[in-house]
Amino acid sequence: MRAYAQLKVKLDALDQQFGIPGSRVFYLAVPPQVVHLCVQHLKEAGMVRDAAEQAAFTRVIVEKPIGRDLNSAREVIRVVGATFAESQTYRIDHYLGKETVQNLLVLRFANSIFEPLWNEKHIDHVQITVAEEEGLAQYDADTGQMTSTRAGYYEGVGCLRDMLQNHMLQVLCMVAMEPPWSLAPEVVRDAKVGVLNCLRQLNANDVDKVVVRGQYIEGEVHGQRVPGYRKEVRTSFESMNKELPPGSVNSTTDTFVALKLFVDNWRWAGVPFYLRTGKRLPKRISEVAIQFKDVPQVLFNSHPATPLEPTVLSVRVQPEEGLSMRIASKLPGPKIRIYPVKMEFNYSSSFGNKSPEAYERLLLDVMAGDATLFMRRDQVEAAWKFVMPILDRWEQTHVRDLPEYQCGTWGPVEADRIIEADGRAWRNV
Amino acid sequence: MGPFMPAGSTAVPVRLVEDELGRQMQALQGGDESPVHRACMSNLVIFCDQRSQAEEIAGLVPQIVAAHPARVLLVVGESGEPDAAGVSASAVVREMETGRNQRSFSEQITLHASAGGIGRLPFAVRALLIGDLPINLWWATHQPPPLAGPLLYDLAENAQQIIYDSLGWVDPTRAVAATYSWLHEFELGLRGGHWRVASDLNWRRLKFWRRITKQAFEDAAAPGAVASATELVVDHGPHAVVQAWELVSWLTSQLGWTVQTGNVQQGLEIGWQFHAPHGVVPVRIRRLPEGPPEVLTLRLQCMLGGTPGAVVIRAEESRRHVVVLENVVSAPRTANFQAPSLAELLSKQLSDRERDSVFTESMAVAQLLARSVLD
Repeated sequence: MRAYAQLKVKLDALDQQFGIPGSRVFYLAVPPQVVHLCVQHLKEAGMVRDAAEQAAFTRVIVEKPIGRDLNSAREVIRVVGATFAESQTYRIDHYLGKETVQNLLVLRFANSIFEPLWNEKHIDHVQITVAEEEGLAQYDADTGQMTSTRAGYYEGVGCLRDMLQNHMLQVLCMVAMEPPWSLAPEVVRDAKVGVLNCLRQLNANDVDKVVVRGQYIEGEVHGQRVPGYRKEVRTSFESMNKELPPGSVNSTTDTFVALKLFVDNWRWAGVPFYLRTGKRLPKRISEVAIQFKDVPQVLFNSHPATPLEPTVLSVRVQPEEGLSMRIASKLPGPKIRIYPVKMEFNYSSSFGNKSPEAYERLLLDVMAGDATLFMRRDQVEAAWKFVMPILDRWEQTHVRDLPEYQCGTWGPVEADRIIEADGRAWRNV
Repeated sequence: MGPFMPAGSTAVPVRLVEDELGRQMQALQGGDESPVHRACMSNLVIFCDQRSQAEEIAGLVPQIVAAHPARVLLVVGESGEPDAAGVSASAVVREMETGRNQRSFSEQITLHASAGGIGRLPFAVRALLIGDLPINLWWATHQPPPLAGPLLYDLAENAQQIIYDSLGWVDPTRAVAATYSWLHEFELGLRGGHWRVASDLNWRRLKFWRRITKQAFEDAAAPGAVASATELVVDHGPHAVVQAWELVSWLTSQLGWTVQTGNVQQGLEIGWQFHAPHGVVPVRIRRLPEGPPEVLTLRLQCMLGGTPGAVVIRAEESRRHVVVLENVVSAPRTANFQAPSLAELLSKQLSDRERDSVFTESMAVAQLLARSVLD
């Protein structure tokens, strides 16, 4: 508490020194269980202004994870809400600050060709991939020594909570939302929460069928041998001089998740969305791919054994933000032979300057009071509501070992089955 | 001996390959304001298991990408002492000749590992493939794919086409015996939306042979020849036994002949007895002690105009094919044929991804021929 009081003195002095009105943005990048302490201390130290004050503002940014399940998320929302009004609260998801994610809105609603096709009549399915090369720990490239680890945070949290519940569902909202009638923050956020509210809820049986989790084991990344997750957890705790929690001895924390979901509304009826995310995959890449329906199996697509590659619009979130469209083209020459070609738009090569970091953009938005790209409380709750049956089912099943995948591969084979059962395949990203 | 690295390439840790390619691309662009394009129709993964072969192929890459622009991953897995560095990488960006006001570049990445490190290569490949583009695997070793084992499958993961060359295969009889079943499993054993085809460059080399043979055996060209055939002999140069085998398999399958028995004189000749509609026909493929590695002569002994004769098709040194009707007074027919280089052959195959049912049928016959010999 003393530190907060000291902070207030320091900030007040700076205001006075520079003649500024005392607006504050507090950024809570802390575990959910200590959010209430931070908020309480900020309030007790007199650093929180009323939302209605005109002269200066106080805003709070809450970093993920917002809770570790629906109840704890509600608790975080409640304790923050007890001190800060919703208009002062900015729940950040840095994915929403990426140029390409924002560009989804422009792509869909500023171009006349896409929106008429953006529905179940023309889209076969959507794939969202968030792949990380990194594992739990970072290593020195030369010595191979561990230099940092996220074990303290990640172990027991896992991929579903860390990536899917927030980043991926937020991106899904941008892909699947109905056209907002204006760009006002609340209108856009209403449209996004509309998607989450339409997600088909999974029951235990569905979870067994359409959700796959996995954990990486020893393998290769960029030609280097890298350890499996359990070993990394052990080494990480040793390096932190902490005792390994009993539950982590044979950790069943998920480092990979793949699932199929449906958005049950008029636009997306029957269109599957396949999501996959994981650590220690072959490359770092995040993308949204809209795969359009095949052309009829006549004319150019008449060989069932070697069908034409479908048209795909791929929106790349990282590493190089941009989009590409794969279309079929005739190969030059006297015969009619079809080959897929890729039309690419790359932010850096088209606009020259490097796009600002997502956090730069989002922090600027907080200062400007624009909450469009931040999660409203109902969005957070809706996302948790979708994820809870999965967490509950996993809790019930008490597996001893998760499906494994070697570092440097695209996840466990079980993940292939989710999509192959539908006659489709994960994309070569 | 250090890692294999083609001339002009820059050695780089595997994790920095993309950065290095970007750096080279930028350096090549220089101050020029004309548009710069990365020309790329597909990912071309080439696997070799010998340094000498890798050197030869590295020399062909510029010609290949000139016809079929691709990101080339030349993957070299040498048996021998393990390399301490695991997988070594080098990268090069080359400017390609294109039209005015436009500059195009192609990328080549070379990955090298030896002994125990070879199993690590597919991991490195996976990370360097360009998404959303077809993947072609050129299995450039003399190890027949059906006998190759898991490395081939790991490298062919998500590939739409695997190209191999049966020219110079080790253990050709066993390899041919296994090919048809392997093709079936490899091409059709996929689930989901995946598909892939396997293509033999040797089969593509036979394209002209197949065409000219078909023409030469037509009734209009050699009346009654096929119906009165008494022997078929195919001569080939060293290393071309599988090519000759494929030609015989194709031809007998087209003619509807069925194999009865087979025998081998190691290194000299393979012979079969075929059942044809008009009786039993011996078929032999003979290895000549010298000559280019290709089919050199095809001779069908038969009746021509009521007298014993033969239809002979001969590849001559000047790249001319001559069709002669023996014991018949007629001028020989000739056809000019420019044999494609390996780079041309491969470039054409890269763009040709349709499953060739005639090839599959021929390989089914080839398998029966091989089994008759092995039994």
